[in-house]
Amino acid sequence: MRHTHPLRLILGTYLPIILIVLFAIGPYIWTFISSITPETALYQAEFRFFPEQPTSENYTRLFTKLDFTSNILDSLMVAFFTAILGLAITVPASYSFSRYKFKGRNQLLMQFLIINMFPIMLLIVPLFIMMRVIGIMDTHLALIVAYSTFTIPFSVWMLTSFFNAIPIDLDKAAQIDGCSRLGAMFRVVLPVAMPGIVSTGIYIFITAWNEYLYAAILTSSKVRTIPIALQNMIGEFRIEWGLLTAGGVLSALPVIILFFFIQKQLITGMTAGAVKG
Amino acid sequence: MKKVIALTLVLLIVGTFVFAQGGRDKADDVEVVKFWYHFDNPETALNPLIEKFEAENPGIKIEPERISWDTYNQKLLTAIAGGYPPDVAQVKLWWQPQLVEMGALLPLDDYIANWDGKDDIHDRIWELTRHSDGKQYYMPLQMVILYLYYRADMFEELGLEVPKTREEFLDVAKKLTRDLDGDGIVDVYGFGIRGARGGHDWWGTFVLSSGAEFFDEHGNSKLTTPEAIAANQWFIDLYRKHKVSPPTTPSDGFVEVIANMKSGKTAMTIHHLGSAAELEAVLGDKISAAPVPRGTEGYWTSFGDEENAIFAATEVPDAAFKWASFLAEAENNAIWQKSSGQVSVNKSNASADADRFLKATTDSAEFAGVLPAHPGVSEFVESLWPALMQQAFAGQITSAEMMQAIEDHFAK
Amino acid sequence: MGQPSLRKKRDLLPYALVTPALAITIAIIFLPMFQTITYSFSHYVLYKPQEKGFIGLENFKTAFTDPLFASSLINTFIWIVGIIVFQFLLGFATALLLNRKFPGRGIARSLILIPWVTPSVITALMWRWMYDGNHGLINQLLSKAGLIKEFIPFLAQTSTAMGSIIVALIWQGFPFFAIMLLAGLQAIPEELYEAAEIDGATRIQQFFRVTIPMLKPVILTTVLLRTIWVANSLDIILIMTGGGPGYSTYTLPVYSYIKAYKGMDFGYSATLAVLLTILLMIIVAGYVRNILKSQED
Repeated sequence: MRHTHPLRLILGTYLPIILIVLFAIGPYIWTFISSITPETALYQAEFRFFPEQPTSENYTRLFTKLDFTSNILDSLMVAFFTAILGLAITVPASYSFSRYKFKGRNQLLMQFLIINMFPIMLLIVPLFIMMRVIGIMDTHLALIVAYSTFTIPFSVWMLTSFFNAIPIDLDKAAQIDGCSRLGAMFRVVLPVAMPGIVSTGIYIFITAWNEYLYAAILTSSKVRTIPIALQNMIGEFRIEWGLLTAGGVLSALPVIILFFFIQKQLITGMTAGAVKG
Repeated sequence: MKKVIALTLVLLIVGTFVFAQGGRDKADDVEVVKFWYHFDNPETALNPLIEKFEAENPGIKIEPERISWDTYNQKLLTAIAGGYPPDVAQVKLWWQPQLVEMGALLPLDDYIANWDGKDDIHDRIWELTRHSDGKQYYMPLQMVILYLYYRADMFEELGLEVPKTREEFLDVAKKLTRDLDGDGIVDVYGFGIRGARGGHDWWGTFVLSSGAEFFDEHGNSKLTTPEAIAANQWFIDLYRKHKVSPPTTPSDGFVEVIANMKSGKTAMTIHHLGSAAELEAVLGDKISAAPVPRGTEGYWTSFGDEENAIFAATEVPDAAFKWASFLAEAENNAIWQKSSGQVSVNKSNASADADRFLKATTDSAEFAGVLPAHPGVSEFVESLWPALMQQAFAGQITSAEMMQAIEDHFAK
Repeated sequence: MGQPSLRKKRDLLPYALVTPALAITIAIIFLPMFQTITYSFSHYVLYKPQEKGFIGLENFKTAFTDPLFASSLINTFIWIVGIIVFQFLLGFATALLLNRKFPGRGIARSLILIPWVTPSVITALMWRWMYDGNHGLINQLLSKAGLIKEFIPFLAQTSTAMGSIIVALIWQGFPFFAIMLLAGLQAIPEELYEAAEIDGATRIQQFFRVTIPMLKPVILTTVLLRTIWVANSLDIILIMTGGGPGYSTYTLPVYSYIKAYKGMDFGYSATLAVLLTILLMIIVAGYVRNILKSQED
C-alpha cells in the first residue's frame, strides 16, 4: 500500500468510516441509553438524551431473576454447532460445485436456490409435526437441524462463489506437486479460501443467533435462546423496555467479541499458495 | 488441516449425543396436564399455584409452558393445525367460533354442572363466554373490562366534568386539546385513539353504542344503516375533523397510547386494569378512571377476551378440568390475578374498598360486551379493522365504504 | 473466468462431496415444501376442515383478481429494489474502506457487525420507537436541528411508512455486504494491482479493471442471495406497522402470513407464497444464468 497524504487519509478514509460506524452503532447506543434509564423516566414530557439517574437494575434483573446466562449459553451452543455443521457440510459441497463439472450440477445448484426462495414461515406447521414425530422437540438438536436447512443452501452458493474466485491453476499446481485431489483441496485451496469460509461461518452463526420463529415454535422450556427471552419481555399490555433493551445490548456483545478475535482470519494467506508466473 | 477436520467430526458426534436428549420420563400412573399460558411480567411464575394443586391432587402433574404473548396465538394455532394441542390453554374469546366449528374444544357443561365453584362466578361471565350453540367451552380465568382513563388534574384545571355521554365527551376532548406554550403547535390532545391492531375496542365504544350492530336479534347485519354509518363517521371525525387525537393515531398501538398518557400528550384514553399500575407509577393521583361515555343507543365497552379452554384432543379430560376449575376457585384465582394484573372472576373476591380503577371496571360490568360469535371475527380484529380504520382516517375510503367492507366480510 | 474442470471420467468424488448437503435439505425441507405446494391448490381454511379439498387453480385465479395481491406485488418490488440497491452500495463502500490499513481497523470491522447481529425484534422495536411521532429520537433531532417544526408521524402516513421501514432494513443488512465483499476483496492477489500499476493504470482504472472483475462472482452471489432473503422478510414489517397504515406496507410475504395466521386460510396463504417464489425465480433467472454460465467456460 502506498503512503497517502495525511489529509487525504482523514477525508478519504477516516471521515467516511466514522460516519458509517456512527450510523451502524447509533441505534445501538440509543438502545443502551434506554436500558439504563429508569422506567418512570422513559416517557417524559421533556425530552432528555441521557437520563438524570441512570440505573443498572435492568442488567441485574436479567441475570438474577431471569436467568439470562442460560439464554446466552443456549444461543451460543446452537449457533456454534450450526456453524460448524454447516461449514463441515458445505465446504466439500461447494468445492465440488466449483471444481467439478458433473452431471446434474446446475440442477442441484438451482434446487438449493429454489429451496431458499420459499418463505420459511409457511414451512412451520409441517416442520413442527416432523420434529414432534421424530421426538426431538425442545432440544438443541432440533434447532441446529432446522437452522441448517436454510443456512446450508445459502452457504453452498456463497462458498461456491468464493471458490470460483480462486484460479483452478492452484489445484492443478498442487496436483502436479504430488497431491491427491482431496489433498489439493485441503492443503492448498482451503487456506486461500479461508476469508470466504470464515465469513460464511459468520453468516451461519449470526443467522442462527438471531433466529426467532423456528425457535419459538420448536422449543418450549428446556432450550431458550436469546431471541425467545427477549420476546418474553413483550407482553400483551406492557413492554418491559428496560429488560428488553438491556437484553438487546447484551445479545450483540458475544458475537462482536468473537468476531473481533477471528476477523484477522479474514485476511488472506494468498501468498501462501500463490502461483508464480 | 486434517487435525481440524478430525476434531470437528468428533465435536459433531459428541454434540449429537449430548443434544439429542429430549422428552421427559413419565411415571405411568401419573396424569400429565399440559397447560399453556402467558403472563406479561417476565418475572412471575406459576409455581406456587402448581405446587398447591399437585399437593391437593396427587396423581396429576401439571406441565406448564409459558409462551410470550407475541407468539402465543401463532404457536397455539400451529399446534392445533399440526394436531398436537395442549390440554388446557388460555384462548381468546374471538377464536371460539372457529375452534368450535373445527371441533377443537371440549364442551364443559357436564363438568361445570357438578362443580362447586360455579355459583361464585359473576353471572355476566357465564353469559358472555357461552357459545351460540348454548354450550360452555370456556372456564373463567380473569376478567378485564375497558374503561376510560382521564387526567383528573387537567379536568380540574379546566373545570371539566367527567363526560357521561358522547356529546359531553366530544366537548371535553375539544377543550382539552390545546397549545400550552403558544408556539402554534398543539401540545396536548384530548383523546388518544388506538388506530393500530387492537383499537377496535375504542371504535366499538363509540360506534357499537350508537346504532351499529354486527347482527341484530334476527341475525341481520346493522352495519350499513344510516345510523351506523353516521356513528362511524362521528368516530372518524374525532381524528379528521376535530383533531382531538394525535397525528400518529393510525399507527398507535397500545404502547404508544399508554406512552402518550404517561408523557401528558393525551388527556384521555381507553384501556383496562392491566395498565393501571404503570400509569399510576408515573402519574400518581393525576390519573383517574370512569366508565366509558354513553352512545346514542346505549353503552358499549369490551369485555376482555381470554379464558381457559380445554381441547377436545386431550387424553386427560378429567384432570384437565380439575386444573381449569382449580384456577377458577376464589383463593387461587386471586393468586393468579397477582401475576396477570387482571380482575378476579369470583364474586367472593369483589372487595368493598376497591380503588378507582377496580371500581371503573366493576361499574362497567353490566354493559360490557364481546364481539359476535362469528368465524370472521379474528380476521376482523387482527387485520381487517386496522386496515380499514387507517384508510378511513387517511381519507382514502369513506365511512360508508368502511362499514360496507365490514358487512361483506361477515356475510361470507 | 475460466474454470476448466478437474474431473475425471466416471467420478464419484463430486457426488460424494455434495451428498451430505443434499441429504439434509431433502430430508427436512422437501416434504414440508411439497406439502405447502399442495395447500396452494386446495381450499384449506383451518376452521372448516370439512370443506378441505383440491380446487385446482381457483386460488390462483382469485389472486389475479385480488387488488390486494396487486398492491402487495408492487410494494414487494419497491421493497426489494429500495433495500438491495442501498444495502449494496453502502456495504460495498464500507468494504472498500475497511480493506484499507488504518489503526483501529479491527475495531471498526467488529462494530460494523452490530446492525446485523441485533435480533430483529430489537431492531424493529427500537426503530419504531425512534420514528415515534410524539416522542421519537429522530423527530427530536430533526426538531432540535431546526429542520422541522411539527413532528412527523413517520409510521402513520402512507407516504412515509414504507420508506421508513426500508431505512431500518438498510441499516440492518448493509454489514452483510460489507463483510462478504471484504472477504472477496481480500482474495484478490496484490500482484494484479501491481501489474496494473506498472501498466500505468490509475486507481480508478485499477478499480474497474481489477477489483470489479475479480469480485464479480461474489457480487453476483451476494446480491442474488440477499434479494431472496429481503423478498421473503416480514418480521420487521409486522412489528413496525403490521402491514399498515391501511395496506400500504403489505408485501407478499406479509399478506401471506396474515392470511395464514390471522385469517386461518392456509390454502390461499400457500398460493401467495408459491406466487412469490415464482416471482423470485423470474427476477433471478437472468442472474442465475449469468452465474452458472460464468462457471461453464
